[in-house]
Amino acid sequence: MTQRLELPIGLLISQSGSYEAVSRAIHAGAELAIGEINARPQQPVKLIPVTIDPAGSLAGYVEGARVLLRDHGLKHVVGCYTSSSRKEVLPLFEKADALLWYPSHYEGFETSENVVYSGAAPNQHIVPLTRHLLGQFGTRGWMVGSNYVWAWENNRILREAIAASGGAVLGERYFPVGETDLGDVVRQIVADCPDFVFTTLIGQSGFAFLKMLRAAAEAAGIDQPSDMPVASCSLSEAELPLLGDAASGHLSSSVYFSTIKSDENRQFTALWNERFGQMGQASADAESAYVAVHLLARAAECAGSTGFEAVREAVRDLTFDAPQGQVTVDGDNLHCWMRPRIGRSRSDGSFDILVEHPAALRPDPYLTWAHDARDGDSRDLRLIQ
Amino acid sequence: MSRSIQKNFRGLRALLIMAPDGGCQTLERTLHKLGLKITVARALPATEGAPVPFDVIFFDADDGADTTLDESAVADLPLIALIGSEAPSRLARVIQHRAASHILKPVRSSGIFTALLLAVNEQAVRIRHKNEVQALSRRLAGRRFVTKAVMQLITGCGLSEEDAYEWLRREAMQRRIPMEEMARHAIGLGPDPAQDAWPQYGRATRPD
Repeated sequence: MTQRLELPIGLLISQSGSYEAVSRAIHAGAELAIGEINARPQQPVKLIPVTIDPAGSLAGYVEGARVLLRDHGLKHVVGCYTSSSRKEVLPLFEKADALLWYPSHYEGFETSENVVYSGAAPNQHIVPLTRHLLGQFGTRGWMVGSNYVWAWENNRILREAIAASGGAVLGERYFPVGETDLGDVVRQIVADCPDFVFTTLIGQSGFAFLKMLRAAAEAAGIDQPSDMPVASCSLSEAELPLLGDAASGHLSSSVYFSTIKSDENRQFTALWNERFGQMGQASADAESAYVAVHLLARAAECAGSTGFEAVREAVRDLTFDAPQGQVTVDGDNLHCWMRPRIGRSRSDGSFDILVEHPAALRPDPYLTWAHDARDGDSRDLRLIQ
Repeated sequence: MSRSIQKNFRGLRALLIMAPDGGCQTLERTLHKLGLKITVARALPATEGAPVPFDVIFFDADDGADTTLDESAVADLPLIALIGSEAPSRLARVIQHRAASHILKPVRSSGIFTALLLAVNEQAVRIRHKNEVQALSRRLAGRRFVTKAVMQLITGCGLSEEDAYEWLRREAMQRRIPMEEMARHAIGLGPDPAQDAWPQYGRATRPD
């Protein structure tokens, strides 16, 4: 047998900090793919991982990227979760001619030639969710979010769609990341009784909010999941176990749910449950990191090289049969073609998939081509249940 | 007053006046992703008086490419300067052209969307202001006719100053013309601008 191509890969993923539940799932997804690839002797590429834990701090990401790129001389790093961490390390990747494999959905408005984006772009998460909410529940919405760009930009898109459909934003409030003193806003929302609540609260704030809103609605005699459903573009299987009694009945827009029925997903979830089942069921962030590592290995295989430019050119238009279905890297913007889906959480820590796009949707990070979100009809989402 | 900003640039025609180097390629690639139609040239194409067939112009402020920019031809277009040298002599050119925003070299993919968004929206504000200034100038130039007409109405028809002014205003409104034009008519400079449009009402034309 010929010598396997050794591909060093950095993992710059937080194992602690305010969003550790999601971030640990990302790390686990990457580990799963690395193990899978390395265990197959016929695979021409062998991955050599180097892990650094930035612990959720921006300085940690910068320092970690320096160590991986400069001291280890790596050309490929899977990492970052928040946009602020990605923006912070991006100049280092540009300077080092290295590729960041970014495994999270984000708010878009970036197309770096030093990043491969394997998470959903805004036309694949907030735009379809907006259509679904306005079409199925009504046009009176309440928005709550953590005070940073992810929340502002998603709310901007939703707010414009609500305004265009003649609806009303009953309230819009932002809280510092990690804030759990949310009693006032919860009382106000229950009093306003909106058609839906859209949340971009992340981590501990998100868990506290969902629990408090459920309790306050029940006390007021309101069936919260059906009368004022909470929707988000980030709630995943990794977080449902942390919600206790309030885990069920929430809407989430995502390209992956653990309940997708496919051979690839059956294999993936079996592998996940065996190794990481204690973290909850497989989630979009875990799957996205898993996809990123597979795309990297495959691109290196096609290029016959681990170099920055060779791999980047090889990854353009590359296709992978992922657990979520076929994923293709867009040759232009290095984001992925994927199928938007909307799920509703269940008490067992998984999601019922309510609607899904009939085909993979071209990523549109600047929303240049997306139909206006106000095109009320949801003709491009197909009811599957 | 808050206006909604333009943030989708699909279909805009961009002219890139610069050498076709790496920075130009990065710019082209990103503008392509944003849905713009791109032309790269070393100079502003001659149009012989016809409007320049572009919606936004990027120019290299370092290499003298900007000397081909004809001020009158590009007056209403958003200009974006690519700046490498921060020498005041170069930056003076950027100011002279009234670039609405800029991109620092080396050109990176990030920053291009921002520069484009700022320039297009800044230019929209400038055009709005320019139109407002034009309208105000017109009114200012017509002011002496209004004053003269009011004086004539006071002395000739015995109206109070307020009534004279009100009469002019009302007549102008009924004719849907600026008050200054009505005033010119009232003092005998030019025909009744709306005489043909509303003959059947037989309204007052000149009070004298």
